[in-house]
Amino acid sequence: MWCNVESIKEFINAEKPSDYYERLLAELSALNREYHPFNLINEGLGKHGAFPFSTKANICVKGFETTAGSKMLKDYIPPFNATAVERMFGAGHFTFMGETNMDEFGFGTFGLNTETPARNAFDSDFVAGGSSSGAAVATATLKYHVAIAESTGGSIATPAALNGVVGFTPTYGAVSRYGLIDYANSLDKIGVMSRSSADSRLVFDVIRGIDKYDTTCSAAEITCSGRSTLFTVKELMEHTDPAIKSEFGRLLDKLGRDYEIREISVEALSKAIEPYYIIAMAEASTNLAKYNGYKYGFQYPETNLKYNDFFTEARSEFGMEAKRRIILGTFIRSESVKEKYYTKALSVRGMIIREMSKVLRDGYIISPALPIPTPKVSEAERLSPTQNYAMDIFTIPPNLGGFPHITFPYGKKSGMPIGAQLITSQFNDYSLFEFVEKWEEGFSMQYRHNLGSI
Amino acid sequence: MKIGLEVHVALPTKSKLFCSCSNGEPELPNTNICPICMGFPGSKPMLNKGAVSSALGIAKALKCRVSGSISFVRKVYFYPDLPKSYQITQMEGAIGHGGSLEIEGKSIRIRRIQIEEDPAQLIREGALTLIDFNRSGTPLVEIVTEPDINSEEELRSFIANLRSILYYLGVDINREIKADLNISISEVRVEVKNVTGIKSLTEAAKFEIMRQEELLKNKMEIARETRGYNEKSRSTESLREKETDEEYGYIYEPDLTSFGTEGIPFSEAVFISVVSKELAEGTGVNSKTISEMTMLDRHTLSIISRLKERYSVRSIIHGIQRMKKYAPEEESEAAIEKIIRLVEEGKEVTKEMVLDAAAGRKISVNYSAVGSEEIADMVEKFLKENPEMLSEYRKNRKTANLIISRIATENRLNPKDVAKKVGELLDRYASS
Repeated sequence: MWCNVESIKEFINAEKPSDYYERLLAELSALNREYHPFNLINEGLGKHGAFPFSTKANICVKGFETTAGSKMLKDYIPPFNATAVERMFGAGHFTFMGETNMDEFGFGTFGLNTETPARNAFDSDFVAGGSSSGAAVATATLKYHVAIAESTGGSIATPAALNGVVGFTPTYGAVSRYGLIDYANSLDKIGVMSRSSADSRLVFDVIRGIDKYDTTCSAAEITCSGRSTLFTVKELMEHTDPAIKSEFGRLLDKLGRDYEIREISVEALSKAIEPYYIIAMAEASTNLAKYNGYKYGFQYPETNLKYNDFFTEARSEFGMEAKRRIILGTFIRSESVKEKYYTKALSVRGMIIREMSKVLRDGYIISPALPIPTPKVSEAERLSPTQNYAMDIFTIPPNLGGFPHITFPYGKKSGMPIGAQLITSQFNDYSLFEFVEKWEEGFSMQYRHNLGSI
Repeated sequence: MKIGLEVHVALPTKSKLFCSCSNGEPELPNTNICPICMGFPGSKPMLNKGAVSSALGIAKALKCRVSGSISFVRKVYFYPDLPKSYQITQMEGAIGHGGSLEIEGKSIRIRRIQIEEDPAQLIREGALTLIDFNRSGTPLVEIVTEPDINSEEELRSFIANLRSILYYLGVDINREIKADLNISISEVRVEVKNVTGIKSLTEAAKFEIMRQEELLKNKMEIARETRGYNEKSRSTESLREKETDEEYGYIYEPDLTSFGTEGIPFSEAVFISVVSKELAEGTGVNSKTISEMTMLDRHTLSIISRLKERYSVRSIIHGIQRMKKYAPEEESEAAIEKIIRLVEEGKEVTKEMVLDAAAGRKISVNYSAVGSEEIADMVEKFLKENPEMLSEYRKNRKTANLIISRIATENRLNPKDVAKKVGELLDRYASS
């Protein structure tokens, strides 16, 4: 039993065999053949620092190809470290393990929008969840490892829950985004996945804090103001699969011993998915504009083409979902409909933030992480884009509003882990760790793989 | 005829707008660059407060309302000089709105003043187009006017006045000015884009007005289009027909949340110091004293800097002092110039004259009609009441002018008439 213990400290202080990292690298290669958590494995693992950390493939690591899971960024080797990575190296205890698999540019709920999708750590027939799919699978298969991941609309919460690990998404602006390859700048947050809440807290403390390279990064103090009430939101629970609903009910029964549990109605939260996708696509389409074959992106060899033909060819290497978001996002930004979609979405977002802030003053909001049981890869592939987007119902409200949230495992359903999500007020991030640490006192997840055990 | 301008000038900051690369003189191509101004995936802009300060100075000098907070937008288009494929610029959250710039007899409204990043430079070499990113991300200020300019002459004086205002804010547009012109002499608006240099700007306007007039005369249609200016042939050429406005798909720049302007100082730049130094050279008075004495604000100083070419510094200072004394709120250049002209003509400026000038009325210069005997009495009375003036005169004969002007002002007399009498009377008294 190591739960509720910082495995980071435990590992650093432990005696390790001299060939520990060599053996770990061999195990990683084997793991990657079956589950594909890594896009890139650092052969120099263990050379600098001890405790392995991975980065989602959209976070720049100096000297390592960083592609954001896209063919358009093949061979992009950043000449700088993301601030979060720089701080991990600066802390001295951490060694870079590699870059983790993801949906192209973060576009996806199940990790399938990539050439070789990562598979669920508990059963490779099932989805890993996305878009930080590889980060979650690596965390669930490696005994000593933390993942620097990233969430725009649920990309940490969903895969963390599906792989039975802790997934922490901080308040927007608590961690610098410098070096993060943009999906939607006003929504993107760098966060952490780990097997215990204590590890996430430790890593959060390493990477957070003001950064002159990211203007949106905040100097606000992070608080630990615990709440005694847990709210469930009626409008969100209505869309939940009965099997998940009953498991979640059992969790609430347990938590009811320590917390007051109340169902409330927050009308605004049923309106979060549309403004989220409108803002995310509008911003994404501007961020992806640079991958057009001029300076960045696939260098289409034939340049003697007409303007439109050249860009069509040069952008052919984008995946289907990226193309969909470029087209929709560009449409949303066009002068004739901008008021109707983009401007309106910004105002609805403001309303949701106000409503949620009010509720979160008096308690946490708790919910399942995903409204359905973990789907098989073949099942998820059959979902339409809008069915896919609807899977984000629980994760979008806190992401849209920049509220810190954490997912933690609380059991299994047919052998697959299930997770719950807890949301609190902006900059009250520490209270989430406190809550989960208390939960971990009575619960520990049994993982199928424990690579790198000493 | 209606002419509107969008003027782009480079801001004199130390570093680029969103990174710490220097905003200096050109070096070897592609040596003054970094991941931010090259738009590397993962990089983010960080706003140069010096550019904001400098632009705030311009907004103030052009009498704009300055926003309490400013924000940015992304203007998206594909062009090889734009590494991010969007330019970071401003719209609603621009630094200044609703200002004006005075030219002779009228006021040209300024719609908006905004800061934005300059794209990279494209260099054509034979069949090749080379890109130099040294310029990418250098700060520009864009000044957008309402279509209030109604003639070539007005365009010339607008640019001259703008140039002197900017010059004293440390922005030298003789070096580089780029502008888009909107010219319509009928209902149809024609845009002339990317005209570089003051000379080309007026020449482009001249050609375009002529072209449109010619078409109208021959009852031919003027197309709504975008044109370019060819410096060699000194003519404008059609670039593209403009059926609809260009689609740039603007969204807020989410990497730069809104900034308060309160904490940022206005650029004092070289303005006050340079002008008062120049004035000091003309008068022998300490430059600090000049600024303090005349309580000169930037706007007035910019007026001075223009009028200096036509009037003596003494007349300007005297005129402005009169202006400040009787109509301290008045800022119109035309009114100030009228007063200075009166001074230059040797007239005594009275309160009534200043108020007439400020109200835009015709200035009445009605001196009291008196005979030379009466004038002699007044002079005598003045010298008795002010014996110290007489003793000054004994030391320095030049103080006669001061005596003349005081007598003329107090009695509402024409100084020329007073001067005739004062000469003989003074000498008589002085020797007695």
